[in-house]
Amino acid sequence: MSNREKLKNLVLDVFLLDESEFRFDLRREDIGTWDSLGTVSLAVGIQDVFGHHLSPAEATSLASVADIVAILRARGVDFPDA
Amino acid sequence: MREPEVWTLGRLLAEDLGPTVVWATPSVAARTGASLPHSVLDPQAALPDATRTLIAVGGGTLMDAAKIFRAESRPDLRLIAIPSVWGSGAEASPVAVAQDGLRKRIRLGDQYVPDVRVRWPELADSLSDRGIRRACGDAWSHALEAFLSPLADAPLRRAIAALIGRMRELPIGRDARWFDVSVDACRVQAASSVGLTHGIAHTLEGPLRAEQADFGWGHAALCATFLWPVMSLNLRLSEGTARKFEEEGLDLSAVLARTRLVFDEDGYDRAVGPLATRWREVLRDPCTRTNGVLVRPGALEHFVGKAFAA
Repeated sequence: MSNREKLKNLVLDVFLLDESEFRFDLRREDIGTWDSLGTVSLAVGIQDVFGHHLSPAEATSLASVADIVAILRARGVDFPDA
Repeated sequence: MREPEVWTLGRLLAEDLGPTVVWATPSVAARTGASLPHSVLDPQAALPDATRTLIAVGGGTLMDAAKIFRAESRPDLRLIAIPSVWGSGAEASPVAVAQDGLRKRIRLGDQYVPDVRVRWPELADSLSDRGIRRACGDAWSHALEAFLSPLADAPLRRAIAALIGRMRELPIGRDARWFDVSVDACRVQAASSVGLTHGIAHTLEGPLRAEQADFGWGHAALCATFLWPVMSLNLRLSEGTARKFEEEGLDLSAVLARTRLVFDEDGYDRAVGPLATRWREVLRDPCTRTNGVLVRPGALEHFVGKAFAA
C-alpha cells in the first residue's frame, strides 16, 4: 500500500469519515470530529502507521491533511503524488 | 489536585459533624445504619436544609452521585466518602461520571473531590468472588489504560509503572490494600486518560443494565470483562504497546495474567452482541479516542471472533 493510501485510510479511521468524504485538500474545519481528542487520536495513528512520534505542539499545529503530508515529508516519508 | 483527608472509622465516630445525612448503597445500608449515629436517607429524597454533612457509603456510582450533588446543588455541604468496595477510587478522585439517558457524562474538577475519605475495609467483607474480581479489574483497567495513554508523559508513565508493580503484589482477591491502590490508580488516570476498555464500558453500561438487568452489569463488571480483550488488541495492533512495558521494566506476561484472572467469559458472551451493535458509538466515545493505540472500525472483528483467546 502506498503512503498516500495509508494516510487516506488513517484519516478515514481517525475521524470516522466515509470514503466519499475524503479529499487531500480537507482542512480541520471541514471535519466535525477533528477536535482536541481527534488530534490525540491522529497523533497516535501517525505513530502506529508511519512510526513517527509527534510532540503535542506538532500535533496541535496540524490544520489540514496537507499539513500531515508536510510534516511526514519533513520526517522522510515519501509522498510522490500527493 | 485537591486531596481528601483520610480518616479511620473511629475518627468519623468521634467527630462533631453537625446535622448529618447518610446515603448508602443497598448492600451496606443495614450495616451502615447500625454503625453510624445518623439518618440513612434515600438519595432520591430531598435533603433537609439544615444538613451540614453528607456521608456517602457505597460504590463508585453512589459516590459519583453524591459528588455531583454536592458540587452542583449544595456546595456548602461537607462530603465524606466511604467506599464499600475498591476499584473505582471515586472516594478521592476529581472525576465524576453520571448516567445521562443511555450515555455517560464525565465531569472533572476539584469541586468533585470529597472532603474526607474514610477507611472502613470491613464493608467489603460481604462481596462475592465475582464482585471481588470485578473490583480488581476496575483498578487494573485504570492503571493499565493510564499507563498506555498517549497523554501520559515519561515521568507519569514511570510513576504508573511503580504503581503497577505494587498492584502485582496484590492477589486478585480480598485484600484491604486494594482501597489505597485503587485511589492511586484513579488518580493517575485522571492525570492522563483511559482508553478503549472505558469507551466500551461507558457505551454499554446503560443498555446492558436495561437489557440484562439480572446480570448485575456496572462499570466495574464491564472493565473487568473487556480489559484482557482490549489489552490483547493493543498488543496486536502496535509493537509500541509491549515496548512501553519493556522500557519500564514491567513483566508484560505477568500483567496480562492478571487481566485474564479478572476476565468473565460468561459476561463477555452476553456483552459481545451489544458491543457489535453499538461499535460505532464506542469508536466515537472520548475514552476510546485517547486509547494508547488507534482503534479502527475493523477492530470489532477482534472482539466478535474472540481473537484474544486464540
